[in-house]
Amino acid sequence: MAIIEAKNLVKEYKTIIKDKGILGYIKHLFKPKYEKFTAVDGINFEINEGELVGYIGENGAGKSTTIKMLTGILTPTSGEVIVNGLVPYKSRIENNKNIGAVFGQKTQLWWDLPVIESFRLIKKMYKIPEGEYRKNLKKFTELLDLEDLLEKQVKNLSLGQKMRCEIAATFLHNPKIVYLDEPTIGLDVLVKENIRRFIKNINKEKNTTVILTTHDVKDIEEVCDRIILIDKGKIIFDGEKQKFKDNYGKNIKAELIVKDKVGNMAEKINSENFTITEESNELIKLKFSHEKTTIMNVMEEISKYCKVLDIHMQESELEDILKEIYKKG
Amino acid sequence: MKNVLRNISLYISFIIASIKEMLIYRLDCIVGILSQTLTQVVEIIFIWIVFQNTSNLAGWSYEQILLLYGITLMSISVCSFLFDATYDLGPVFIREGEFDKLLLRPVHPLISVLGSSKDFVSFGYLVIGLIITIMMFTKLAIPITFWLIIKLLFFIIIGGLILGGIETIFSVAAFWTYRSNEVVWTFYRVYTLTQYPIDIYSGFVKILITFILPFAFVAYYPTMDYLGFNKYMIWLSPIVAIIIWIIAIGVWNWALKKYRSTGT
Repeated sequence: MAIIEAKNLVKEYKTIIKDKGILGYIKHLFKPKYEKFTAVDGINFEINEGELVGYIGENGAGKSTTIKMLTGILTPTSGEVIVNGLVPYKSRIENNKNIGAVFGQKTQLWWDLPVIESFRLIKKMYKIPEGEYRKNLKKFTELLDLEDLLEKQVKNLSLGQKMRCEIAATFLHNPKIVYLDEPTIGLDVLVKENIRRFIKNINKEKNTTVILTTHDVKDIEEVCDRIILIDKGKIIFDGEKQKFKDNYGKNIKAELIVKDKVGNMAEKINSENFTITEESNELIKLKFSHEKTTIMNVMEEISKYCKVLDIHMQESELEDILKEIYKKG
Repeated sequence: MKNVLRNISLYISFIIASIKEMLIYRLDCIVGILSQTLTQVVEIIFIWIVFQNTSNLAGWSYEQILLLYGITLMSISVCSFLFDATYDLGPVFIREGEFDKLLLRPVHPLISVLGSSKDFVSFGYLVIGLIITIMMFTKLAIPITFWLIIKLLFFIIIGGLILGGIETIFSVAAFWTYRSNEVVWTFYRVYTLTQYPIDIYSGFVKILITFILPFAFVAYYPTMDYLGFNKYMIWLSPIVAIIIWIIAIGVWNWALKKYRSTGT
């Protein structure tokens, strides 16, 4: 059964239009003009319990607005949203009991207090039973390596340490759904790894549903099973990660190690089917699309001018695919 | 009712956390208390100067005015301590986007905002207010009985609640004007009116601070009772406090709903 359901969800904002110069500002004061801007434009999706979903898109595509509607911070302009049987903007406080959220760089911890004090306040706020609290605290301390951090003031923690504490705070009350908005931004590789491992671990053990928005494609590569791609307020892809790659990742990169090369290859070969991106006397890098040709045909063409010793082929990575999509958009 | 108690209990937890945070900055705390105390001393000197030229103000003697002043100061202290965090709603919470974070908690955001108070400098007010009040009771030969102490304590808190309720209503403006905090500032400018007996003001101001913004119920009517001038109006204070808070919470919820649908 779906734990999150969005039906024709729309959010419009009013933005102020101002004429230029001081006169424009004065005019605005007496006769304000507004323009409608549709941030989320009729999106539909269902997310099942325990799914790990990567919600991606460019800056301003409508990701945060969607998340804000799912959490009940924002009221949709139209459409329906049901989370765990509740309408979040109507029963926000009730809904908050079942969810956890990390919003980028903003901390939910008490800045001047030791970390453990924040955890205690969270325990009180969410009415976490003593036993459950102890069990989670012990487990999270181990998984996220918090042992030496708990007694430190939050303001004295490094970004990575803070984010580890933040993640622990978010999962402390066993939320059914967790929204993570850029949880790994600005962190070093080891901390990123640690956090990704933690999310997967908790998901496996507690069947927590996780919605992750991120610009770090590796987060999605490693954590998510499913991708929802949003562009200009509309969903342009929704499905399994592998399907996403199959759909968009038609470009194949190949590296050929060659010998006895004669002259400049790119000048001699002018094929529509593949492009040479880099070449030297021993190495040729090229790109081609599955739809147009095969590696055998490419080889045939190339070997007219040199001897091919070895081939390396590589499917497009998620990052390349996204770059392509964003560029087109 | 259970809900209200739970919210109050959470509010107390937040305030305790704030006190702990504040205690870390001991120096800030001490300097704050001293400077606030100094401003009040200046105010008292001002009253003293006024009375060098006149023996009474609208029928109130120097000692009686200072008694009102001391009692007002204690209610202001209660209000600052409990409710001044509403001042941060615009500049700190909404403008910096911190408010969304509060909306994710399973608690009414007003509780979270109020609970973030760090205004403990107002303890200075409490001390000065208490000293002045005791001195004036003695000078005016009003016996400090057990019953008077209980009444004083109760109505100082009620006064703080009335002030806090009005401040909370004013704070709602921050949902729209979070860049400037002028509206809450207006509150601070108006409430200083209550430090003097309303008899010295013109008809309009009298009506304003009795019925529209019922500041007169904070300290004026209670003081009238202690002085034996009016024995009845004081008992309206708790009712005024309840009405003010029903309005405050209603207005707050309404503004919150608006805010969530525009998403500034």
